[in-house]
Amino acid sequence: MDIKESQAVRNTLLQEIGKCRACRFCIDVCPAYQATEWVENMSPYGRLQILKYLINGTLDEDDPLIYSIYSCLQCGRCDRLCKAKGQNLDVSHLIRLGKYLLSQGLVKGSKNEKV
Amino acid sequence: MDVNISKLAKDLGKIVGKEYVHTDKPTSVVYAKDTMPWDLEEKNIPYAVVRPSNSEEVSKILKYANEKLIPVHIHGSGTSLVGLARPKTKGIVLDTARMKEIKVYPERGYFEAGPGVHLAQLRKELAKHNAMLPVFPGSELVATIGGTIAVNTSAHAVDAALGKPGDFVLGFEVVLPTGEVIQTGTESTRRAAGIDPTKFFIGSEGLLGVLTLVRMRLVPLPYFEHVVAYYNKTEDILDTVMEMYKQGIHPPLFYEFLDERAAKIGFEAVGLKEPIGAVAMMRVHSWSKVGSEDKAQKFFEFLKTGNPIKARIVKDIEEWNSIWSSRAEAGNYMYRLGMTFGSEISPRVDKLKDAFQEAKSIVLNLESYKNPEFISFGHIGAPTIHAYAFIPTKDITNEVKKALTLEMREKTEDLNIKYGGCGGEWGLTAQRVSFLKKKYEKEVYEVLVKMKKALDPNDILNRGNLQGWI
Repeated sequence: MDIKESQAVRNTLLQEIGKCRACRFCIDVCPAYQATEWVENMSPYGRLQILKYLINGTLDEDDPLIYSIYSCLQCGRCDRLCKAKGQNLDVSHLIRLGKYLLSQGLVKGSKNEKV
Repeated sequence: MDVNISKLAKDLGKIVGKEYVHTDKPTSVVYAKDTMPWDLEEKNIPYAVVRPSNSEEVSKILKYANEKLIPVHIHGSGTSLVGLARPKTKGIVLDTARMKEIKVYPERGYFEAGPGVHLAQLRKELAKHNAMLPVFPGSELVATIGGTIAVNTSAHAVDAALGKPGDFVLGFEVVLPTGEVIQTGTESTRRAAGIDPTKFFIGSEGLLGVLTLVRMRLVPLPYFEHVVAYYNKTEDILDTVMEMYKQGIHPPLFYEFLDERAAKIGFEAVGLKEPIGAVAMMRVHSWSKVGSEDKAQKFFEFLKTGNPIKARIVKDIEEWNSIWSSRAEAGNYMYRLGMTFGSEISPRVDKLKDAFQEAKSIVLNLESYKNPEFISFGHIGAPTIHAYAFIPTKDITNEVKKALTLEMREKTEDLNIKYGGCGGEWGLTAQRVSFLKKKYEKEVYEVLVKMKKALDPNDILNRGNLQGWI
């Protein structure tokens, strides 16, 4: 991913996550949320918020953060829920994009930023 | 306040186990974020999130917080629409999610639930015992029973048909802000007469204690029937609601409506034919099949006197589900298309029409954002007026979002005062301290402050919610 592409991904993420209303309707359907005894940053809602705050500079990259985002199993249950009762977001796709950004070490402000 | 985070984590870890204490910022922001339209500020982000599993741990956390003078903010599922869920000061977020036990005792006529139980899950459990959970919020997938009782929200249900959820509470286990664990109320299905501390904690919004167990009466599942009515204009629905109370007609359990605009959006969203004007949808309940059918028929006959284009009893449950979900979808779709800034006005019922017209005028003449669209839907039979300012974009600044929220709040507060209401659904204190002072004279607010101080001398629990904030 080059710089231009990563910026485009950041913009997409910010724009899409900006639509999340923080209703949290998606949390209960997430197997990782259930498996971690209901920790909200291990839920679809939580991962989206972390990505947003990471990209806008409120958060720095650190270990628990990475762990939270990578706890997504890409099962897609949250997508169905968000489409049915939420804001029609492709939640798991957005998390996948976020994982990719992180894996590239390209998140703005990260210690590992390559640019 | 100077707080040593690693010491805090260690101390809280000794109480609940270190795996249940989170001091990393990512976790903190996730727990602090709520549905308020503007973003978090540094003061909202807690030092730590702690996740106790029982009242003993809650007690130790609160004793520790009092000793160190660190505020504690209680977190259920964070679904409050008026800012109750956002910490107002830096402190510890106490998450109730691990207190999820449900015990149903049919032979005793009640159930007990931990505060972190989600309502949808509780409803499912109760249905196995032929019982109904007497509260119906739109957020029931994740809203907790602790939060629901702490706000005592009627949500969709019409108070005059069912009462508040607090009316079904028999007793609590509560941890007081200073850490004492107390039991209140009764194990009988007969509630206490006279002074019963249970009543102090119903609707106390986490200011007076942490509910660690809620005991509620089992309500046998009733039979339901459904009625839908189509109108040329919203005003006809308002007239009908006013007439219902005036004539002493039994109100339905749900009496929802969609105004002309919301009906178009909602019906289109669920694939139903676009209605001509506004739509009202009602659910009636009774303890027998014959009773519910009779009630529906009588209500239908009453509706016909109120000038609908068409009204009918809906027998097909799938069709009813579509019509009913159009109500939720109207809200969802509006938010997808832009932003909504809501209000909650519960006027004296004979003034419903006047209050509605004034609410509309407030929205259409807002100063902080010119020419928003007016949309209204919700629990009109309660009566509650949800007047929404719809902005067809999400691209507005934090400052404008705040200004809009404030302006809507202040102007609709005045409307509640003018027409004798106080809001019955979203919770009062966090957004409405100014309202309390305006409506009830300052002495009433001072009584609340004294009650808070008596139980919470260090102002540990939910600090900021009784001070007023934005």
